[in-house]
Amino acid sequence: MTASPHVALMITCLADMFYPEVGERIVRLLRRLGVTVTLPPGQTCCGLPLFNSGYHADAAAVARRTVVAFADAETVVVPSGSCAWMVRHEYAGLLEGGPDAAAARRLAGRTYEFSQYLVRVLGRTEFETDAGGRVTYHDSCHLLRGLHEAESPRTLLRNLAGVELVDLPGSDECCGFGGSFSVRLPEVSTAILDRKLANVEASGASCVVACDAGCLMQMKGGLGRRGSAVRAVHLAELLDRERGAAR
Amino acid sequence: MTTRAEFLARIRGQMATTRGLVEAATASRPARPRERLEVLRRELVERRPRSLERFRTEFERVAGVFHRVATVAQVPAVLERICRERDARSVVTWATSRLGVDAEPALTAAGVAVHAMPTAVPALDERQRLRDIIARADVGVTGAELAVAETGTLVLRSAAGQPRSTSLLPACHVALFDGAALVETLEHVGIVLEAWHDGAAPDDGGAVINLITGPSRTADIELTLTRGVHGPEEVHAIFVDAGLPARPHA
Amino acid sequence: MSEPPIRTPLRDRAQQALGDRFLHEALDIATTKFIGLRREAFGEFPEGERLRDDARAIKEATLQRLDEHLDRLIDNVERRGGHVHFATTGDEARDIILDIARRTGARMAVKSKSMATEEIHLNDALAAAGVTPVETDLGEYIIQLAHERPSHIIAPAIHKTKGQVAELFARELQREVAADPEVLTRIARAELREKFLQADLGITGANFAVADTGTVVLVTNEGNGRMVTSLPRVHVAVMGIEKVVPSMTDLMVFLSVLAKSATGQKLSVYTTLVQGPRRAPELEGPEEFHLVLLDNGRIAQIGGPLREALACLRCGACLNVCPVYRQIGGHAYGYTYPGPIGILLTAMLNGPRAVKELSHASSLCGACADACPVRIDIPRMLIDLRKQVHDAKIAPWPERVVFKALAWLLRHPGLYRLGGPLGRLLQWPFVRGGRIRTLPLFFGQWTQTRDLPPVAARTFQERWAALEREGR
Repeated sequence: MTASPHVALMITCLADMFYPEVGERIVRLLRRLGVTVTLPPGQTCCGLPLFNSGYHADAAAVARRTVVAFADAETVVVPSGSCAWMVRHEYAGLLEGGPDAAAARRLAGRTYEFSQYLVRVLGRTEFETDAGGRVTYHDSCHLLRGLHEAESPRTLLRNLAGVELVDLPGSDECCGFGGSFSVRLPEVSTAILDRKLANVEASGASCVVACDAGCLMQMKGGLGRRGSAVRAVHLAELLDRERGAAR
Repeated sequence: MTTRAEFLARIRGQMATTRGLVEAATASRPARPRERLEVLRRELVERRPRSLERFRTEFERVAGVFHRVATVAQVPAVLERICRERDARSVVTWATSRLGVDAEPALTAAGVAVHAMPTAVPALDERQRLRDIIARADVGVTGAELAVAETGTLVLRSAAGQPRSTSLLPACHVALFDGAALVETLEHVGIVLEAWHDGAAPDDGGAVINLITGPSRTADIELTLTRGVHGPEEVHAIFVDAGLPARPHA
Repeated sequence: MSEPPIRTPLRDRAQQALGDRFLHEALDIATTKFIGLRREAFGEFPEGERLRDDARAIKEATLQRLDEHLDRLIDNVERRGGHVHFATTGDEARDIILDIARRTGARMAVKSKSMATEEIHLNDALAAAGVTPVETDLGEYIIQLAHERPSHIIAPAIHKTKGQVAELFARELQREVAADPEVLTRIARAELREKFLQADLGITGANFAVADTGTVVLVTNEGNGRMVTSLPRVHVAVMGIEKVVPSMTDLMVFLSVLAKSATGQKLSVYTTLVQGPRRAPELEGPEEFHLVLLDNGRIAQIGGPLREALACLRCGACLNVCPVYRQIGGHAYGYTYPGPIGILLTAMLNGPRAVKELSHASSLCGACADACPVRIDIPRMLIDLRKQVHDAKIAPWPERVVFKALAWLLRHPGLYRLGGPLGRLLQWPFVRGGRIRTLPLFFGQWTQTRDLPPVAARTFQERWAALEREGR
């Protein structure tokens, strides 16, 4: 590993607008781990919402912008599994045959979801939190099935001092967000969410953790509406410091 | 109406527009199936005891009832017991030459009517009469060409003297088999099927092969399992240690 | 054959399904059970993953030489005394079968479960022609009595409670009937046994057809497949062209994963290999065997975007794991084939416009692709169908306007960053206690049931300058 790894943060549109504190935590944590973090200007969105709804020419245009914005990045870290998937899985295909094709492939190979980056690239897995209580983990679909990543978040949570990790029944079941699905078929989306939240309650956890802003928006939205005491948080919000590090 | 030529032409036209999604291959079938089967049979001989154990476990797992006898002479007694337990009045069997055992004396003595199917094919009205007999029988007794250990499956071929509904219409099906019928896996069944279809079909062979894995069942109502929907509600397998004399097709 | 377009919007159909308490419970129990059974079956089957890969490869390889395999299949069926017919459309398939029925003087036809015959709406045509169709698969028998269509690919009556089934039987038989599955099954057995023995015509689908030998393969649990192919005088099998498999060796690969995926069984109770009509030495069997090869939109997909969907084994595993199907059931989809694969098949049979709404009946979670024994990438094709709808410019114009506006905004970072201050301005009347509980217009779709976070007081990009300084 180089002396000081450099990471370019892809903040994602949802985290940028709605959960900036998640971004802040990630930046501060990475810095404490000795990583230099930059935020390439000119980034907006990975284009997934356009892609999923079939607006592929538009998605490609947005992808092009992203590829250009991150052209100089050594490593890219993304706080959302779905956005990381989009870049890794779909960018090359969208921009194939065009001038940015090679850059898109390069970017795909250098992009990691946040927990993946911590565990598989940095190799840092021992953290502690002041949170307390029981936590449970929800597998976001793109992270689990798109990026085949079930282990890294669990490794971090299992090793996280200060909380007890409990199993979430149906952890691999969708939360019902699905992007525009959540407003195209809102009743179905909500019914799926209800099932997820019933499972969260059954787990006995006071906190459900996810690595995707879309899932969090959906789950927070449901928990808030029910007036539930259970919180939905991004994994980064629980990683206060490395074990044994100063506060 | 679309002709064969038109239909295939449309297919070829579509095929010409693409090379397909990826390089892909079908499963490799044996170049000389009958030889391959011979080799397999020799290999299986040593593993018979284990295959039989496995078959029994899987067969019972799908609610099959397993019996074991030393010789063919002991089969009628088992059949008699099964009939008694089921209060059976009438039994149909494959032709005696196909079955390798004549259960008629023992069963008749016990008050059970036995109808062995003929090997020669009679006229239509006689066939109808035989069909009615099978439909009203309480127990159907057949052989089995294969017993598959992996899944607890019995494989039966229809043929002269081996009508299909013997193992289908009566509420209880009893199959006799021996060590030579044992194979271990579905892959082995594939080898056998390739061999059976390699070369000319036997003159007295039928058109249907049935893989039977336990009694008829359904879970269509609230996913509650019930047995004996249309086919038999009970399947018995009698393993004969010393082997069965008549093997329909070696 | 095209099915008529549905008038009720998908959202309304879904809402109706969501409000059905019985359906909800039935779906929950059934799908949860199926998922568990499948998981268990593959859990004890380490070769399963490799066999799924093999199965997928065989399907693709078969398509790459489909004409040869079909030629061989046809020759072998004919060599054994069977007749092969070619149906380009569902209408044609129906005509072929009616013709056979008429010519053979059939007055009653017993049917083994066949989605292909559902697809071409065969039963209505038979009835209209004076041939009584009798469904013999218990689930199909039940929905036939109820005048409904199947709601699941392999368990057609999964949406019915035993009480509802008892009511149906009572009405049909004109007597009291206990709401007990054992009792109900016995009744069905007795009623249908008579029909099997009297029927002139047996109609089935085909799970597979082996080209090397001209064998049609039927997979059932009840035994009705065996009855239908042995007792009546005439047997007609209706089969989509994509069901052909080259050899018996290939067949075993599919058999090793099919039942496990569908119901968790190692093998279904009956796998019946039918090679033509009764042979001379046989006591029983049909005198005539007909194979109807069905196109109905399949051929066009050989070179089309839904080619991968031709690999489908009709096991239903994708339905059981689909979060949408699990909530709304099969009828809400509105077409013959429900669930994730059903959306693709509907597009295949009726064109992409038919799935303008249905292609969005998915959160793209990918559970279907995970469960599929032949690894069909259903989400990829759903996105492609959405793209086809977009390209055809048939999505509602307000939606197109919103997405185009979004696309434009995302291409202009400066304007995108105005989203922060603009969002904060617009949301101001709606933010209470740090959250948004209600929003007007289209945004109400979310806030009806869920809170929304407000646009942050300072977005991440607005905070960056300070964060960057912090890091120095």
